[in-house]
Amino acid sequence: MDADALARTLDGLRPALLKMARLQLRNDAWAEDAVSETLLAALEGAAGFAGQSQVKTWVVGILKHKIIDQFRRGGREVSVDAQVEAAGAESLDDLYRSDGHRLHAPLDWGDPEASLAQAQFFEVLQACVERLPAAQGRVFMMREWLEYDTTQICKELGITSTNCFVMLHRARLRLRECLEMNWFANRAAR
Amino acid sequence: MKPGWVLIPCRHAHALISARMDGPLDGGDRLRLWLHLRLCALCKHIDRQMAFMREAMRRIGP
Repeated sequence: MDADALARTLDGLRPALLKMARLQLRNDAWAEDAVSETLLAALEGAAGFAGQSQVKTWVVGILKHKIIDQFRRGGREVSVDAQVEAAGAESLDDLYRSDGHRLHAPLDWGDPEASLAQAQFFEVLQACVERLPAAQGRVFMMREWLEYDTTQICKELGITSTNCFVMLHRARLRLRECLEMNWFANRAAR
Repeated sequence: MKPGWVLIPCRHAHALISARMDGPLDGGDRLRLWLHLRLCALCKHIDRQMAFMREAMRRIGP
């Protein structure tokens, strides 16, 4: 791919990269910075790439590194947010009865893998992640998108491992509810 | 089903399902969750759904 084609490809990827950076960082200015640095690094490192899909994977890899750098720069702010939210009173009592059973039975999602082929599903997924409280969303994205283990997350965010487990658990349950309500329930009805 | 040492309520099972995605459970919790998932079809759904969500999150991208 020549420099011109690469520049066009990167330009096309920019909105998606920005969306991912925002989802992970929960801060528009930081997301802009991380994406700009990513695109710059990609242009400078422009080796001989054969196709677009190769470039995508490579650029997303760069973005993940830039996001980590950004976390480290924003360190204190991020960890204070996480501590405040972890200590917060957000409970899961709206999902359960007092005997620990669920208030509403979860639906059978059928064959959810089929949804992975639909762009619309990923829009709903991203909207659901966006709806999580900021620190919870960051922790969840770090675990499931950056694929950090909980020890690394605790270290980066300055939270205890108990807080980390609690936040991940809440995020997963909230995300499950959101996907069920906004995607799988509609599909069952269709 | 009355909760006890081995039998746990769904709420507790969900916490264990999540914890197991982040690291190994200790022996007692492994036993409790295994048994709960054998007995509770609804939590089995949730277990599969959580695994699916992980798969989906790894595919987020341009």
